[in-house]
Amino acid sequence: MKAEIKGSAAFAYLDVELDEGETITTESDAMSSMDADLDLTAQFNGGFFTGLARKFFGGETLFISKFTNNVTGTRRLTLVQPTPGEVKCIELNGDSFCLQPGAFLACTDGVDLGVRWAGFTSFIAREGLFKLEVSGNGKLWYGAYGALLEREIDGEYIIDTSHIVGYDPSIKLKLQLAGGIFSSLFGGEGLVTRVVGKGKVVIQTRSIAGLTSWINPKFPM
Amino acid sequence: MKIELLHRPGNTAAKVTLNQGEVITAESGAMIAMSGDMDITTTTHKKKSGGFLKALKRMVAGESLFLNHFEPKGVSGEVIFGTALAGDMMTLNLDNESLIVQGSSFLACQEEIDIDLGWQGFKSIFSGESMFWVNLKGRGEVIVSSFGAIYPIDVDGEMIVDSGHIVAFNETLDFTITKAGKSWLHSFLGGEGLVCKFQGKGTVWCQSHNPNSFGSSLTSGLRARRA
Repeated sequence: MKAEIKGSAAFAYLDVELDEGETITTESDAMSSMDADLDLTAQFNGGFFTGLARKFFGGETLFISKFTNNVTGTRRLTLVQPTPGEVKCIELNGDSFCLQPGAFLACTDGVDLGVRWAGFTSFIAREGLFKLEVSGNGKLWYGAYGALLEREIDGEYIIDTSHIVGYDPSIKLKLQLAGGIFSSLFGGEGLVTRVVGKGKVVIQTRSIAGLTSWINPKFPM
Repeated sequence: MKIELLHRPGNTAAKVTLNQGEVITAESGAMIAMSGDMDITTTTHKKKSGGFLKALKRMVAGESLFLNHFEPKGVSGEVIFGTALAGDMMTLNLDNESLIVQGSSFLACQEEIDIDLGWQGFKSIFSGESMFWVNLKGRGEVIVSSFGAIYPIDVDGEMIVDSGHIVAFNETLDFTITKAGKSWLHSFLGGEGLVCKFQGKGTVWCQSHNPNSFGSSLTSGLRARRA
């Protein structure tokens, strides 16, 4: 399999070449174009019940797609995320990585998409009740709206909620209210995330929540 | 006529320099700046316009497309065109051939090119998606725009493109509306739904990002209007 991220950080997309018998797993609706004889299979995102739970509480799709080359020769496939932004690739060698809802784009065979309970505080922060923990051996592509910043942290670091994209599993996320409880819960603002531990955190420079909260007051009442 | 694409690929604008007697035709609302002595005429169609009723019908169908024709009054002039969504642009040179452009990707073309807005193609099947198509025929330069990057695909055989990612394609290509992969069920469950299958020999230009997907990732965060 050959895969190349194109389109610069602003409009990244992933060009994939699948050899005979190879499969790539992608987020739902990620395909923008492909050779007509590739096969597409839709699967529940982590089993039926977790799939349902993640759809309704985690803000993820119910299904993920598997594209397989069942013919002879190499076939092309182009994948993209719904929002413009950067895409990055990480190689997993038996280790794991946590992704926030919506960050997953694609992975090779050998990568497990695990669902982990993220807790009610995460739900309150509108980051979903569940989080995705990917593990195994293979390549993983993920992305977000905006560019991606990587930070190696050791100790504590504070990130605005809805700007976290992914983090090493050794890192714990703790939500804290920047303002009072009332404004944090009902205003949807004033929440920041305190990340604690040692490892890598990936941050997105923009957020859809930030964009919509900029647009919302502009609608006529 | 000289066409320059500025600030590619993120925030592209097209600067068109016109000599006396040269006319460029653009989609309504595309002009962001121009010389002071430019003549603008607005029509609903280039030729055989079919009159007001036909334009009204198109408008009701949600596909109003007015065209502005820019012509310098003096010796020369310039017009700069832009789009609402961030992304790239591309010029294509038509040599007595025909190009199908997705309505929201059509930006401008030389006046000599015939613009057919009534090309129904596979419009009816995409009901729900406000999609219409422009058929450009003739000789001259065309400017198309995209949401995100533009990548060409040379089709020789069969190729599938998700409907929201099509910018333009050669009319030499045949197309059918179909499923992605072998099974209708999996195509829908996999979120792809109906896709376009191109057959034959020719080029399809795709936009890396789908405006509708971006739109629906916004809507969950938008507040309903209290009207």
